[in-house]
Amino acid sequence: MLAADLRAFYAAALKEWRIMRRYPTVFIGILFWPLILPGVYVLQANGFGAGDGQALHAFAARTGTLQVAGFLYVGGAIYMWLSVVLWGPGSALREEQTRGSLEQQFLTPVSRLVLLFGSAPAHLVQAFWMFLVIGIVLGTLFHVPIGAGTAVRALVVIAISVPAFLGLGALFAALVLRFKEVNGTVQLLRGVFQVLCGVTFPIVVLPLWAQAIAVTLPPTHVIADIRSVVLSGASLPSLAPDLLVLTGLSALMCVMAALVFQRCERDSRRNGALGQY
Amino acid sequence: MGAELRAVGAILRRDFRLLCRHPLNFVNLILLPLYQFLIPSLLLGAAFLVNGRSVGLARTAGTDDIAGFLFVGAAASSLGFGIFWGVTWAIKREVDTCTLEQAWLTPTSRETLVLGSALTSLAVSSVAGVVLFAMGGIIFGAHYSARIALGVPALLLLLVSLIGIAFLVAAVVLRVRQPNFLIDTTSYLFVVTSGVLFPIAVLPAFLKFAAFALPTTYGLDLLRAGALGTSPLLPVVWEYAALGVIAAGLVAIGRWTFLRTERRLRVQGSLGSY
Repeated sequence: MLAADLRAFYAAALKEWRIMRRYPTVFIGILFWPLILPGVYVLQANGFGAGDGQALHAFAARTGTLQVAGFLYVGGAIYMWLSVVLWGPGSALREEQTRGSLEQQFLTPVSRLVLLFGSAPAHLVQAFWMFLVIGIVLGTLFHVPIGAGTAVRALVVIAISVPAFLGLGALFAALVLRFKEVNGTVQLLRGVFQVLCGVTFPIVVLPLWAQAIAVTLPPTHVIADIRSVVLSGASLPSLAPDLLVLTGLSALMCVMAALVFQRCERDSRRNGALGQY
Repeated sequence: MGAELRAVGAILRRDFRLLCRHPLNFVNLILLPLYQFLIPSLLLGAAFLVNGRSVGLARTAGTDDIAGFLFVGAAASSLGFGIFWGVTWAIKREVDTCTLEQAWLTPTSRETLVLGSALTSLAVSSVAGVVLFAMGGIIFGAHYSARIALGVPALLLLLVSLIGIAFLVAAVVLRVRQPNFLIDTTSYLFVVTSGVLFPIAVLPAFLKFAAFALPTTYGLDLLRAGALGTSPLLPVVWEYAALGVIAAGLVAIGRWTFLRTERRLRVQGSLGSY
């Protein structure tokens, strides 16, 4: 049974990869936005800092680094990863629904996990490609020293974060299946994460109530940990407490996703709304 | 002429009726810039504050009012995004529902069809811009001067320029057929290079040249000079002259490009294909 599910998972991943390859503009977009969006914020930071010693000191005191570009590009990379997850695995079930093939998929004897996570590997390739490009840009254009050790530590943090993002995508997929609106929901959710998770700013500038919400969101921890590794050279043991919290949040996210998905599926099957759009 | 004006009126009524059917889209016109770039930008600005004052922005833009700087920019940017996306969606909708050829067969000039959609987009995005502008003052503590009224002629010239851009966008959408990525990136670069999010002074030299070719740069600069008391990039008369020349040029080039593209597609027989 497990072997059959693994084969189905491989087939689902391959299918998604093939679809992705047919739309090469996706890969141009995946190069364009991760470079341009944080670049705009770097220019904005230059406007706010203006090379003024006091302003830059204030920034360093609040963020723990003087590497403004590094700070913004790391935040931007995680934000783009979130976008990839929401537009990819997060919207995959809804896409099947609009194509009219969701009910057929639910009739196959594969685990629901295959349907939920099957498209994720192709989008992970996309995300890793984006991280690589951003890493090269940070190293070459902004002279952020990213050695092999730093890259490995950052990859470990990213690997630990994968379940959190998969859980987030699955939770989103289940909710979209229920409420049937992708575009507006993706924009809203991305906005919420951008405002709360410190993508372009340190979360200490948020009001206390917003900081309390921010620390319950996995992307906040991922951004902070990768910034610590890349910009401050933090070791993995020093990040252990935060990574444990991240692991706990990941597990919580995955359990919530499974429960919400189960509930949405049961309701959709009962009222016959599974294939409606 | 009277018939063309009636056609423009009919397009406006049709587009507003469609907008009323999807009120969430209008709400998103205001919410999207708010949570996607205004609040993150305000918070980034807060990270640079020294004793509650933005000393850096005062040096690069001539004002330390971060909220004022950003919300005037957002109001102007909503016009830019509005014209790009409004015209794109209007034509894409006709193509996707296979009604473009029928609309083209009516005895209305093709330019009128684009002009109608452009005017709807500008009307809707103007309302969104005014709401954002007001929110900046009421909720986010921006301080505007009444001298912003002096920027109204600049705003009018900017609107004329954007009509020219509407024709260019229409030509691109008809030609490319899957224009989302192109329009997304072009509109973003167009708006951002105009100094919506940061002072033009921080742009690299080659991008400054690009910025000075954009009507939004001058329109926004004159509005900020009035509302926030910033120093204009160039003497005011020069900025008006540049804006006037760009507006006339964009309308002429845009109209010519649109008519040429439309004629070519009709000859090829690919007007309604997608």
